[in-house]
Amino acid sequence: MKIVVLVKHVPFTLRNLTFGADHTLDRAERPGQLNEADEYAVDQAFRIARRRRDVQITAVTMGPPAAVGALRKALVLGADDAVHVLDDRLHGSDALATAQVLAAAVDRLGFDLVLSGSASSDSGMSAVPAMVAELLGVPVLCFADILRVREHKVEIGRDDGAGLRTYAAELPAVVAVTERCGEPRLPTLTATLDAHYKLIHTWSLADLGIAGHGGATVVRAVTAQPVDRTHVVLADDPTVAAIRVADFLALHQFL
Amino acid sequence: MTVRLVLGLALTAVAFGLAGRRILTLLRLARAGQRAEPERTTHLGPRLWAIVTEVLGQRKLLKWSGPGLAHFAVFWGFLILGATIVEGYGALFDPDFHIPLIGTQAWLGFLEDLSIVAVLVSLVAFAAIRLRHRPEHEGRRSRFFGSHLGAAWLVLFMIFNVMWTLLLCRGAQINTGNFPFPEGAAFASEAVARMLEPAGHAANEVLETVSLLATLGVVLGFLVLVVHSKHLHIGLAPLNVLFSRRPRGLGPLLPVHSGGVPVNFEDPDEDDKIGRGAIEDFTWKGMLDFGSCTECGRCQSQCPAWHTDKPLNPKLVIMSLRDHALAKAPYLLASSDDERAKLPRDVLAEAARPLVAPEASGGVIDPDVLWSCVTCGACVEQCPVDIEHVDHIVDMRRYQVLIEAQFPKEANVMLRNLERAGDPWGRGAKARLEWTAGLPFEVRVFGAGGEERLPDDVEYLFWVGCAGALDDNAKRTTRAVAQLLHEAGVEFMVLGSGETCTGDAARRLGQEMLFQELATQNVETLTGAGARKIVVTCAHCFNTIGNEYRQLGGDFEVVHHTQLLSRLVADGRLRPAHPVDTTVTYHDPCYLGRHNRVFEPPRELLGSVPGLRLTEMPRSRETSFCCGAGGARMWMEEPLGTRINETRTDQALDTGASVVAAACPFCISMLTDGVATRKEQGKAADDVRVTDVSELLLRSVRAENEAPGTLRQ
Amino acid sequence: MRPVLVLVDRTATPPGVCRSTCALLTLARRLGPPMAVLCGPSDAASVALLGRFGAATIATIARGELDQHPAAARVELLSHLARRTTPAAVLVASHRLGQEIAARLAARLGSGLVSDAVDLRMGADGPVAVQSALLGAYRVESSVTRGIPVFTVRADAVAPTAAPMEPDVQRVHLNFPSAVRAVRRITRRPAGSELPPELATAAVVVAGGRGLGSRQSFGLVDALAKALHGTPGGSHTATELGWCPRREQIDQVGTIVHPRLYLALGISGSVRHRAAMRHAETIVAIDRNPRAPIFDVADLGVVGDVHRVVPELLAEISRRKAYPMISHNEETT
Repeated sequence: MKIVVLVKHVPFTLRNLTFGADHTLDRAERPGQLNEADEYAVDQAFRIARRRRDVQITAVTMGPPAAVGALRKALVLGADDAVHVLDDRLHGSDALATAQVLAAAVDRLGFDLVLSGSASSDSGMSAVPAMVAELLGVPVLCFADILRVREHKVEIGRDDGAGLRTYAAELPAVVAVTERCGEPRLPTLTATLDAHYKLIHTWSLADLGIAGHGGATVVRAVTAQPVDRTHVVLADDPTVAAIRVADFLALHQFL
Repeated sequence: MTVRLVLGLALTAVAFGLAGRRILTLLRLARAGQRAEPERTTHLGPRLWAIVTEVLGQRKLLKWSGPGLAHFAVFWGFLILGATIVEGYGALFDPDFHIPLIGTQAWLGFLEDLSIVAVLVSLVAFAAIRLRHRPEHEGRRSRFFGSHLGAAWLVLFMIFNVMWTLLLCRGAQINTGNFPFPEGAAFASEAVARMLEPAGHAANEVLETVSLLATLGVVLGFLVLVVHSKHLHIGLAPLNVLFSRRPRGLGPLLPVHSGGVPVNFEDPDEDDKIGRGAIEDFTWKGMLDFGSCTECGRCQSQCPAWHTDKPLNPKLVIMSLRDHALAKAPYLLASSDDERAKLPRDVLAEAARPLVAPEASGGVIDPDVLWSCVTCGACVEQCPVDIEHVDHIVDMRRYQVLIEAQFPKEANVMLRNLERAGDPWGRGAKARLEWTAGLPFEVRVFGAGGEERLPDDVEYLFWVGCAGALDDNAKRTTRAVAQLLHEAGVEFMVLGSGETCTGDAARRLGQEMLFQELATQNVETLTGAGARKIVVTCAHCFNTIGNEYRQLGGDFEVVHHTQLLSRLVADGRLRPAHPVDTTVTYHDPCYLGRHNRVFEPPRELLGSVPGLRLTEMPRSRETSFCCGAGGARMWMEEPLGTRINETRTDQALDTGASVVAAACPFCISMLTDGVATRKEQGKAADDVRVTDVSELLLRSVRAENEAPGTLRQ
Repeated sequence: MRPVLVLVDRTATPPGVCRSTCALLTLARRLGPPMAVLCGPSDAASVALLGRFGAATIATIARGELDQHPAAARVELLSHLARRTTPAAVLVASHRLGQEIAARLAARLGSGLVSDAVDLRMGADGPVAVQSALLGAYRVESSVTRGIPVFTVRADAVAPTAAPMEPDVQRVHLNFPSAVRAVRRITRRPAGSELPPELATAAVVVAGGRGLGSRQSFGLVDALAKALHGTPGGSHTATELGWCPRREQIDQVGTIVHPRLYLALGISGSVRHRAAMRHAETIVAIDRNPRAPIFDVADLGVVGDVHRVVPELLAEISRRKAYPMISHNEETT
């Protein structure tokens, strides 16, 4: 069984980040780490590999040279090898462009199951796994809170707010897991040492046979704004407070 | 005459043969262990001094006066009675034998008799102690719980036999005229002689020979028994004391060693042994520890885990390891695989036992035992023969974490947070200056003005710590200390987001790899900033930065805030003028007190506050009872037994104090929880508070009850 | 003018239209005449509500596939409509289902996608979407340069305003290819069933702490969890005091939760508690102490007595369940 895990390199912290002149995040300069949700995805792949013998896990990322750090971590967490799509033309890729490159890489590798974290912490790239599935023409199971892989099919459990539901699809398929699927274990020393000997392949867009590459969206302007997350209200009258909370819940579609 | 010589020498040969074979096996077993850390054989001075105080002076045994005195008497009795064995062997050859030079002097005869009497009295005391505290009677609370009771009684019986046969022999010698000492010296022997005299000279001659042979026989039997039982300590304890960590087996943990060399975690060797995954992974010093254990149970009597009905008992850990090592010995010492295959089935079964596994899977040490340890060091502190329980437990944890990835899953959350965010709660570097908000002065942050070294006017680097920066109770302490330092005119700086966790919890959990990562980063930060004097509020940071960073080349002078503040008060730079009318009990944090011997400064601080009355808990200073947070237990569930923090809280409440003071954020957190629970149960008064020593000082330095800007509870 | 496709979110029982759709229609009107895509029964009340918020056209379709395979069937439907009507944009609410639909639609159409828009306006060369980036520190304005722009919209960031229209209701006829059946729902745990979902995977968590004061009061947590189809939990203190079972402990050493909604009742928010719930998407806290650290992380904080606020909230929730409707002040703001 061949599992491809899509991973992303993200900055350590979202504070004090800046946007470049081209309105893209200055991520090349920032120290970063493996996106947390993707860590869960690699761990889920590793859990599958521990239950059956025939599993080969490949971690794939695209990004600047520093993104190789995310792949190293994925190798420590259980991936068998890794692919880094590295090309100057990738800078500033949007979700669709990212998905096209990743889909081409996955297609070239061959796969039974593609895993990914369901959201990356630095931008709304949660669309990527679904796009990759669409481009590959395979079913997608997004926001998997629970993942179970059977012989020829995959099952997920997910709770969208009204209780847990289970969905299933035949393999090959794409699954995006959430951070609810279980904390990854910190790797053992042995795993850390073994990772030194695993291979990281570097592919260019030409290797993937992608000639023209470019986003389908463009950033027009970026402006800083004050952050005001909390709204604290005093409940002199509990009824008023209750209505305020109920309105808030309704607004966020919990009622 | 010839008969008794032949019999005596034959007995001796048999006994020496039996004992020698055993000693050889034990020696080979010890050599089957790994090489020990090289520091164990250096610094001979302190090591010999330890022999003088702990072996000859019986320092640690005398902490418990009754049993300590009895042991003192037996120990010295045996040393002195060594002379009677020489005399006995001499008498085999020559009935008139006496030790040259001093052999006929009255004082020696008196001393020998005194020793015999003292040992007999001590035996009565030992028997009384064993009867009074017998496990059938006291259950888990008995310090002999799980000890080999039969062997212990047998040893007492054998000592008794040595004594009475000796006395009999000496009495008979007096009557036959073969006694080397002048009349009036050997008072007990003479009393026996008077009783035997009516039997006549011939009978006494026979008695002399028989009892002499009996004495030697019993002594030789005892020798064989000793090398086959827990009484090995007679020979091993002095060696163990000699090779133990000095000044004590507390404070810093040793780095992971393999083959006597620290493991380089950036590029470990493939053959490196990480921690202890099997009995043969222990060093020869470990084996020596196991062999030295006398099963006295002083360790368990102090153990907070055992006290709260958890399965961990330091004595039983050491005993299990020893019993396993001995049972597996034929397997370990076999010279070839063929020979191994021919071993009896029970030996092969023993060899197949995993070192750490649940009892049902045949494990030598149950994981519940391993993970119950708070590394408080109370066992190490008590152990009369300097066994290093905590080191062995952490070494076994290291294997479980780094090689097997088997540990309580809650701790994984802490480890991942340390790895991803640099603090155990995952708050991240950005939150580390939140505590400064609202202080009436500006806290200087290193690097904020672009400086790359600490400016010259900065006397102390204030290491705030994760708890100090992020935990709400601990933030109060941090603010209090900052205000006091400001008040005293001490220039200090903080690192702000430049700090990460010191790695204490990771290290004590056994995650040495993560510890090395965090520690290396911190040593680089501190060295890069040119930090020399560092003040900390956390007992764990205190221990780690002060003791353990040295292993990574970071040499800093670290003071605990209670030390610095007490110096400032003594120098008159802080004046606790306003009375704080309250009764306070002080809880010694393990990593400040027992591990690092800072007992007085917090008490001096409390003593300097007018109106404050300090009442001590029965378990304080060296015998302080852990709050339950040490050894990374802060980051694990406590599902077994009762709560350690609540037990300690009860001890504090029993003093009647209305303030429980401590000097470590984790103790404060645990005790706060304990007091809250007791309040909810109606077992504590509503006004009982848990607080850091510095906050009481601040209240006294300032007039206000509540310092401005301090968070309210 | 080219229409703007708006995918309608439906409420389950009785079939109705969610507030989020009203918000989307409000934005859609700025880009062109909205075409509401209504899956399932086109009842009069729903049609009227869509009209009130400015839907010029309503494309309706009721097919089993839309219920059985909600994402795939909607992608099929929207791409069919997009090819037929070449709209100025497609708007989908950015919840889990919406994000999946929008992503697949964009990939299928080869169109640019902008996720989690908080505002939309018409620019010189097409629609401009505003996103809130880096924890809200930046406003990012983007537009789509290729294909039919697809937007997911954070409906909670938009206040719906009415602009009544008389909608033209069109029935859509579409045969779904077998591929939409690739993902099957195999079990369904009905909302409000006996056992609450597991804490670790629950989408809604209601937790109680010391502020509740007693085991009896802890019933409020269970009641509110039930009302919100969520899972009850307790802080470290609450479990220590035996107010809730140990397995319900939300704490550094208990369960780490990742819900969409976290409701904290009488929880001050110690650092160990926050370590376990900081991943929650939306946090609502009710506590008496205005300085409780939980308010630092809450999206909505209520300073008040849980014993008084929560019963009122329970009453308000059951009132709204009995009469589901858009409240008056939302329509007019």
